[in-house]
Amino acid sequence: MDTGNAEPAGASLRAGTTTLPSEREIVFTRVFDAPRALVFEAWTDPRHLVHWWGPRGFTLTIHEIAVQPGGMWRFLMHGPDGVDYPNVIVFDEVVPPERLIYSHSGEAEHDSARFQVTVTFAEQGHRTAVTMRMLFPSAAERDHVVKQYGAIEGGNQTLDRLTEYLGAMA
Amino acid sequence: MTSDHLSTTFATLADPTRRAILARLAAGEATVKELAKPFDLSPPAISKHLKVLERAGLITRSRTAQWRPCRLKPEPLKEVADWVERYRRFWEESFDRLDDYLRELQAQATQPKRPKHKEPANGHRKR
Repeated sequence: MDTGNAEPAGASLRAGTTTLPSEREIVFTRVFDAPRALVFEAWTDPRHLVHWWGPRGFTLTIHEIAVQPGGMWRFLMHGPDGVDYPNVIVFDEVVPPERLIYSHSGEAEHDSARFQVTVTFAEQGHRTAVTMRMLFPSAAERDHVVKQYGAIEGGNQTLDRLTEYLGAMA
Repeated sequence: MTSDHLSTTFATLADPTRRAILARLAAGEATVKELAKPFDLSPPAISKHLKVLERAGLITRSRTAQWRPCRLKPEPLKEVADWVERYRRFWEESFDRLDDYLRELQAQATQPKRPKHKEPANGHRKR
């Protein structure tokens, strides 16, 4: 799931937040100007998913998808650099149109970049607040991600942003 | 870099006073007295926090200058940032695309004749 994007960080900021509630969690929030049922549909219907999942320049091939507890979603992400990234998602909980809980990993047998994701969809008038909580199973797995995908540029910008995230830490 | 290393960074950052000290040092080096000023804390209490920060490798203190100014050492913070950044970029951009896509869908829905939803060009699916 490498983003492989050369754009300067923060260039596309809209009203969303990133926080680090603990050393094994990352939480993203975003409010969408659309009714909850539609937002949930966009997250669970393959006809919709191919239109938005992944950073700009990425396309998706969905091999199978069963949005139900125990169901599997297998897909290939095609990066703009020609590299394919296999992904496997297994749904633990599916509560339309409120909540999704799933485990996400690459296809490799021992994939230490796996993590559990809880997505909640909350009504805010005509809008929908989406909260996405990524939980890494252990500090070792978190560090594997750092090692494998580290080395990002933009030192100062990164530090500024990090200070923001940490300001919201519990 | 070991697991312990990054965990130490997080444990150190879990304290709001220490985060505030780091934020202050991000703007440039400062003495203990200067760092103590915005807080309702005694210099010894600040010194305690500084020791924790120094042990975690987040700051360095001059050995030569008389006032031993503190300086931010950004490397451990960068390790945390690398971890977060990988996912942040992915989801920022996906959310941007979803945002655009939801607008498109709703614009289509308000038109008198709703055009049939376009099939994706790639991939085959089964439900």
